[in-house]
Amino acid sequence: MNEPAAPKPAPRIAIVGAGPAGCYTAQFLRKRWSLADIVIYDRHDAPYGLIRYGVAPDHLGTKAIAKQFDRLFARDGVTFVGATDIGTDLTLDQLQADFDVVVLATGLWADRMIDTFHSAATTAVGAAPVAAAPLAGVYGAGRLTRLINGHPAESVQGLHIGRRTVIVGNGNVAVDLVRLMLTPAEVLVSHGVPNEVAAALTAGPLEHMDVVGRSPVYAAKFDLAMIRELGKLDDVRFTSDSPGDDVDENDETAAQAAGTDAPADGTAKADAIRELVEGSSPTATRTVAFHFGWTPDRVFASDAGEVGDAGEAGEARVSRVTFTATPGAGQRDATLELSTDSVCTAVGFTETEGALLRRDAIASPTADLERGLLADGLYCVGWFRRGPVGTIPANRADARTVADAIIHDVEAAAAVLEAAVTST
Amino acid sequence: MKFVILYGTESGNAETVADDLVDELSADNEVESIDMTDAELDTLTPDAFFLVVCSTHGDGGLPASAVPFAELLDAERPDLTGIRYAMFGLGDSSYETYSRGSERIDERLAALGAIRVGEYGRHDASDGSLPNDTALEWARDLVSTLDDVAAVA
Repeated sequence: MNEPAAPKPAPRIAIVGAGPAGCYTAQFLRKRWSLADIVIYDRHDAPYGLIRYGVAPDHLGTKAIAKQFDRLFARDGVTFVGATDIGTDLTLDQLQADFDVVVLATGLWADRMIDTFHSAATTAVGAAPVAAAPLAGVYGAGRLTRLINGHPAESVQGLHIGRRTVIVGNGNVAVDLVRLMLTPAEVLVSHGVPNEVAAALTAGPLEHMDVVGRSPVYAAKFDLAMIRELGKLDDVRFTSDSPGDDVDENDETAAQAAGTDAPADGTAKADAIRELVEGSSPTATRTVAFHFGWTPDRVFASDAGEVGDAGEAGEARVSRVTFTATPGAGQRDATLELSTDSVCTAVGFTETEGALLRRDAIASPTADLERGLLADGLYCVGWFRRGPVGTIPANRADARTVADAIIHDVEAAAAVLEAAVTST
Repeated sequence: MKFVILYGTESGNAETVADDLVDELSADNEVESIDMTDAELDTLTPDAFFLVVCSTHGDGGLPASAVPFAELLDAERPDLTGIRYAMFGLGDSSYETYSRGSERIDERLAALGAIRVGEYGRHDASDGSLPNDTALEWARDLVSTLDDVAAVA
């Protein structure tokens, strides 16, 4: 009756991946269990994953979230073990043997590819594109943002952005690329972008960018604040091929089919693009053309013999890209053809080929992904749990859900144990 | 004195500010920190002084954890006469809607009769700094003002 409350459980917890999902999970678990051993492993020397290597370097407010996480290691007694790859340096089995709870938070950071864009297609009319080595001049946004953020495993070798580039995608990563590529090299460097990367991005220098999205403007994935930010760039004229003022009924339907909360949100997106276009200087020497409602079709290479000074001798390089009108997106023309010297695809992320930790391979028959449970004592969180959708705050909410599940499971097991002890 | 820190957060920064304010104030006071998501109308009592810490999300919107609180105030329209509070907003001045999320809460509280006291504190993330030190300085100044008010009264 007058016994003191049982001490809170102090499980040993390993978290694999020191990106936002892993760090938020550690925060929530630490709040509940002040005495638990919590260790976060990462394959990189330095923690914070996407915040370090994926967030644009000029977005200081978002970068500052990492400072919040510094407190975990500096003050809250969470241990960071870097340069440790789970699967090679340590096996998952070893980790599970050493810890009561293991949480996988390794994210999904490989660029999603567009088959016909990332392999050299034959230029012969009517011939099927041939899957081959990646075509020179076609880059994934993940690689570019890692380069821009000084990722140790990325090299600037082979990167050449010339005078005309095409950005494929209309999410926030695509808008990041538009902004960063039009930012002067010295400003990039002042934000910590490596000199050689800043030089490669601005070497052209860029005179024209085409930004091509599959959705109509109403269903575009970018955030309004991201578009408004583009208005601050110097010497850029923006254009858009999206239809005029009112929400077209077809567009609205397409937007709803695409799962956005259109039309209210969608109208705001159309307005933001229109304001950007109308507010830009008609005499600017650089242009950015937004194209909405176009689905990637193919890339075409210049003949090996025509390669300019940018390419290596005999290297086939992108010279032209085509898109087809997305069904229901309200485009009048059937195809869009753009000439270009480089293509950057920002169309999402996926599982790395040959990844050592694959969720589907690890999940047991009793897995409950809604709670992040993969197997007894084994959990997953963030993009590794849900797939590559949602921002950093969404992964905080995700971390809370999974941390709550872990807390519930561990405390329920402790209560069962205590009841068994008491009844004997 | 009894303080209640009400925080609205999206990426967790406002929550760490609330944690630091608890540490700072709890030496001399009774302090409680509550996520706006968990706030109920009973939380809003005149015997406490409220420190409202709220960030801004996206295009000047409320952070996720403040949305249920705003909806609660809009739906119930409680009479907040006698409630005193101070505001601290988090934002990024490179956006036009700097600190707007906190203002959305401030407007609601004021419209329902609560009285805002002291300086409207703000932190600007555009320099990459954390809001915590700015918030602690703001809270110290505020509390000294409250002491003056109490001494006069």
